[in-house]
Amino acid sequence: MAVAHKEVLHIIRDARAVYMALGLPVVMLMLFGYGISQDVDRIPMSVVDQDRTPASRRMSEALVAGGDFVREPDLASPDDAETALRSGRVKAVLLVPRGFERDLARGVPAAAQLLVDGSDGTTATVALGDAAGILQATSSERAVRASLSAGPRVRVRFNPTMRSTYNMVSGVIVLILAMVASLLSSLTIAREWEQGSMEQLFATPVSRSQIIVGKLIPYTGLGFVQTLLVITVGSYMFGVPIRGSLVTLFGCSMLFLLAMLGTGLIASVIAKSQLVAVQFALMTSYMPVAMISGFMFPIANMPKWLQAISMVVPGRYYLTTLRGVLLKGNGIDVLARDAITLAGFASALLVIAVWRFRRRLA
Amino acid sequence: MKVVMVLQSLLNVMKKEMSQTLRDRRMLATLIVSPVLQLVVFGYAIDLDVDRIPTVVCDQDMTPRSRDLTQAFFADRTFLRQSDVPDPSQAQDALETGRAAAALIVPYGFALRVARADAPAVQVIVDGTDVTLAQVGSNAASQFLLLQGIGHDESVRTGAAAASLVPRVMYNQRLKSAVYMLPGVLATLLLNVTAIVTAMGLARERETGTLEQILVTPIRPAVLLAGKCVPYILFGLIDVLAILLLGNLVFDVPFRGSFGVVALGSFLYLFSTLGIGILIATLSSSQQQAMLGAFAFMLPAMLLSGFMSPISSMPAWLRPFTMLIPMRHYIEIMRGCLLKGAGIRDLAQQMIALTLLGIGILAISVARFRRRLT
Repeated sequence: MAVAHKEVLHIIRDARAVYMALGLPVVMLMLFGYGISQDVDRIPMSVVDQDRTPASRRMSEALVAGGDFVREPDLASPDDAETALRSGRVKAVLLVPRGFERDLARGVPAAAQLLVDGSDGTTATVALGDAAGILQATSSERAVRASLSAGPRVRVRFNPTMRSTYNMVSGVIVLILAMVASLLSSLTIAREWEQGSMEQLFATPVSRSQIIVGKLIPYTGLGFVQTLLVITVGSYMFGVPIRGSLVTLFGCSMLFLLAMLGTGLIASVIAKSQLVAVQFALMTSYMPVAMISGFMFPIANMPKWLQAISMVVPGRYYLTTLRGVLLKGNGIDVLARDAITLAGFASALLVIAVWRFRRRLA
Repeated sequence: MKVVMVLQSLLNVMKKEMSQTLRDRRMLATLIVSPVLQLVVFGYAIDLDVDRIPTVVCDQDMTPRSRDLTQAFFADRTFLRQSDVPDPSQAQDALETGRAAAALIVPYGFALRVARADAPAVQVIVDGTDVTLAQVGSNAASQFLLLQGIGHDESVRTGAAAASLVPRVMYNQRLKSAVYMLPGVLATLLLNVTAIVTAMGLARERETGTLEQILVTPIRPAVLLAGKCVPYILFGLIDVLAILLLGNLVFDVPFRGSFGVVALGSFLYLFSTLGIGILIATLSSSQQQAMLGAFAFMLPAMLLSGFMSPISSMPAWLRPFTMLIPMRHYIEIMRGCLLKGAGIRDLAQQMIALTLLGIGILAISVARFRRRLT
């Protein structure tokens, strides 16, 4: 208990660190909520209109009308298109060739060209889809009416408007917890080594596992406060639903925190300096959580061997439970398997941390 | 004479920093091996081209017609048939537990309605908790149903004949994610290595008091900082080389531009990230603070850099801020140079921005560094 008390004092005395640990998740959430979205629109587009007829103008106006494209200054010739795309000023160029309207009037298929910058793949994919959709809509009123009358046949469940904020709140919780738990805890033991205070601790009657537990308690508390903060901000400011039970949510958060603390402590025990410990923790816990937990990139898309690796990333299971509780309203009955897996990771990692710690001393 | 002395002390600081880093095997692994390893492992993860969405099928109709439909649904591999269930409520269960991310439900009487030319009521349900997947899935399903929607087929076809838009994707024809994501990953890894390492390294020197010892020597603060930075610029450039080489070999990332542009861009970028590291170090009094500070900068910077989501889609008030993020310019330079073969003239704007940012950040951090000493 005394160790925990000392660690709490360490954290509190360092007020700037606490502000940062608590402020960062809120800033991230604000950015996601108000600024960053995965919904791509306002793609900068230039037009090369060689036809200069009402039909060609209709074409370019149709693309801009929906807000998916924003019109940048027109270009004189197709050669300029290449330069504009290459310098990154625009992401798409619409080329309407001479004789576009004439062909249309004659009933000959008339083709305009849309050049899309593939070096920004997210934008390119959306631009292609939008352009096709807009064109289909404008060129055939009948088709639109027909598809509308048939009613919505594709339904998106749990997040009907596909708002990325919903998705991001769970992502931010996972990232922030992983960061605080694994990175901060990786610093603690390494710091004692570096400053030589570890030897002093050993001279006291405190046992090894007591040291570890004492180091764990304050950071678990900090992580808890952060989870609470992110969920509160998410639900009040961005209307993220909490459909399931909060008890399940916090129970799983606790297990995930312990697992992350375990990896941080292992890093801390192995590395002697804080600098190496942080980088080690970053590589083994933070980056896998960010990259292969399914937060940013769908797991189903990864090659088989990487999917296998993602099985040992605790963040993966935590993300499932978070999304399940927040958006789907799943209870513990549905999430039992994930929760048990998390518990398994937490205990295994902590046992390894204590064991490695012991071995170092011998 | 004075210049010689400054150069001499610069060289000495560099030598000390180099030998300190090279002696520590783990440090060397952190600087060189770990970024490269991370690129390879996580490069495979970066795949936003969603396909093989696990789908549960509930075919209540069980007619040849409905079987044709379900088979056609999985033909282009956007969806992957995972299991069949007899009851729609079981399909719901599969979605809820996350066993499937989409469900295709063909109700009783589907074939009958098709024969009568009624609008057949097929339903596709997509799990919206994963937005990327949901967008791709619902688009693909809508398109599929529109094409299959017997009776609407014709109107679509007559419409499409009128005017067509031929899309052409430039530079990355197959829209492979790894190709356009690599510059962003590179920028992140470099920032991680250089900013965190310098910030924490300087904070450690302060913690242990060696910084004060060096400062009583006649070495000037600016020279000291420069000497500490140069080795990391070297390590960073080695990282760039290794990552580009591996990106080319493993992920087929092209190298269309000139080597000089890449080198200049990387140098300017490293310059500014090191400046950020020093700035953070001057703002913090312990390694823990330095680490948190580095993260407090890195995470928002990553979001604002255009790495994950396009800058043009951000709200107008936020876009000016992205100009202050060195990563943004570096990613544009690397995408331009590697994928589009852009030359120095195409990228002049980004280069200038990066230079100004680098000088600005370094000037502020050197000034702060001096002030803290007095």
